[in-house]
Amino acid sequence: MTNIQDRLGTGKGKFTPLYPELGTDPVSYEDAISPEFFEAEREAIFQRSWLYVGRSERIPRPGTYFTRELPGRLASIVVARALDGAVHAFHNVCAHRGNKVVWQEHPQEESSGSCRQFMCKYHGWRYDLEGKVAHVTNEQEFFDLDPSVLRMPPIACEEFAGFIFVNLAQDPVPLRHHLGERILELESYPFQRMTQRYGFSTRIHGNWKLAIDSVCEWYHPPYVHGRFIDKDVAKAEKMVPPVDAYHYDLFPPHMLTSVPGPPPLPPREPGTAGPPARDQRWIYTLFRAGLFGPDDVPDLGELPDFLNHGGIRSWGNDQFWLFPNLSVQIWARGYYITYTYWPEAVDSHIYEIDLYFVPPENAKDRLAQELVVDSTIEFAMQDVNTIEATHSALATRAQRQFHLSDQELLIRAFHTYVRHAVEAHQPASSTGEA
Amino acid sequence: MTTTTTTLPEGFAELEPYVADWARPTREERYDTRLSKTIEELEAFYDAIAARAEDAIAHLNARDLDALTDADARLLQLLYSLILVSYSVNIFNQPRIPDSGSAFFDCVAEPAV
Repeated sequence: MTNIQDRLGTGKGKFTPLYPELGTDPVSYEDAISPEFFEAEREAIFQRSWLYVGRSERIPRPGTYFTRELPGRLASIVVARALDGAVHAFHNVCAHRGNKVVWQEHPQEESSGSCRQFMCKYHGWRYDLEGKVAHVTNEQEFFDLDPSVLRMPPIACEEFAGFIFVNLAQDPVPLRHHLGERILELESYPFQRMTQRYGFSTRIHGNWKLAIDSVCEWYHPPYVHGRFIDKDVAKAEKMVPPVDAYHYDLFPPHMLTSVPGPPPLPPREPGTAGPPARDQRWIYTLFRAGLFGPDDVPDLGELPDFLNHGGIRSWGNDQFWLFPNLSVQIWARGYYITYTYWPEAVDSHIYEIDLYFVPPENAKDRLAQELVVDSTIEFAMQDVNTIEATHSALATRAQRQFHLSDQELLIRAFHTYVRHAVEAHQPASSTGEA
Repeated sequence: MTTTTTTLPEGFAELEPYVADWARPTREERYDTRLSKTIEELEAFYDAIAARAEDAIAHLNARDLDALTDADARLLQLLYSLILVSYSVNIFNQPRIPDSGSAFFDCVAEPAV
């Protein structure tokens, strides 16, 4: 046993047997490669789930707005804060002849700004901040037109803890009902203080669920990220926390993993980082930060009780998986990251990563945040490496049964919840093999 | 390219040769620069900035982050670039992340400074 494994081991047993409904059998990944399943999943899940589209800080005042092009041609939407402070979402389509109303320079690109009304660039029809028609050009030239009932089609939209969600269904369950009591606890975390944002986006040629699979288990780090740990993989394997150091929790359809992490470095005087070296530990010492966050942690007051529910020694982060496609990862060192997965096709999705920090007070804090961001993206690049390789291999169907260890409990759970959502929406006999 | 004026704060003149390529305001430009260099060029840049990094942090830390002069902003950008190339020099021994294929992230939001 190495030092870290002695220090963090708990002797806890396996988690999967706590959830007998999930079983322990080998699994199929037909749900990740079947075009028929993809269509059913799109209709059963993405057309009727609460989907996260952005933070409330993006529209801080009445009249501020942003547009989203939800990938896979799911929808083109406007999200705006009205004069009464409420957030509204509506389809970005003019009631006159269907032109896209809100865009700048390039109609396919997302935009944001501030205004009192939206004006269609085609014939000058105007809309208020709730999407209702406010002006029809040459109204008297139309026939039996009642502008009071015309609007850009509304979309259900609700805010929770500063996260804005939309739902494309006509009459969805309320957002808070969907989130459930364990996710509602997130409301007590000071997200609103973390306004320093770094946003990243990429297209990945693989099924969106395979991307989620790749980061909801802690079995892969010594291999995918081995060079960060030790160039000798045999040593890297011994330098990661033991399997029983992690915590998993399921509150269907949502999930949680909690992860240990190193404690911050002790404070040091300026100028004491030691002689420069080609050694990443020197860089971490110099800038006082690493993958697990800055060493000088912002004072957020006492942290809410819901964090580190599993009582991990040397806690690193809690990663909450909000069904279907959002992860909110809250780090012990006072920042958070959101990960969002937007399917475009059975074998393609858009992956978004956004990191949020308390605004830095000085260059030292700013540089520490820069290092956390760069480390996160270097690791994320390694994680996405394998997804295209996995998808293309699965698609050969040369193997049809796959094996999940206890460390991969969330993968077993997540695919089960997706299949249940698809089956609940239509008779099981018509969903194809799953 | 020859530099005829001083573009960095006083006391950092020996870093002047790196300003044109590396004192870039966006992460995308800095990442493009990393990929455009050989590992030997990245190591030379790393060694040069690392040697003055503590002095540069001390210099910048005494200033208001929201009111940096252009010269100070360039020095800060050299430190951002040092962080970005540290992975190439210290972890991967090559400019690109190994096995990254076509993987790449577009930066869609970043702080102004």
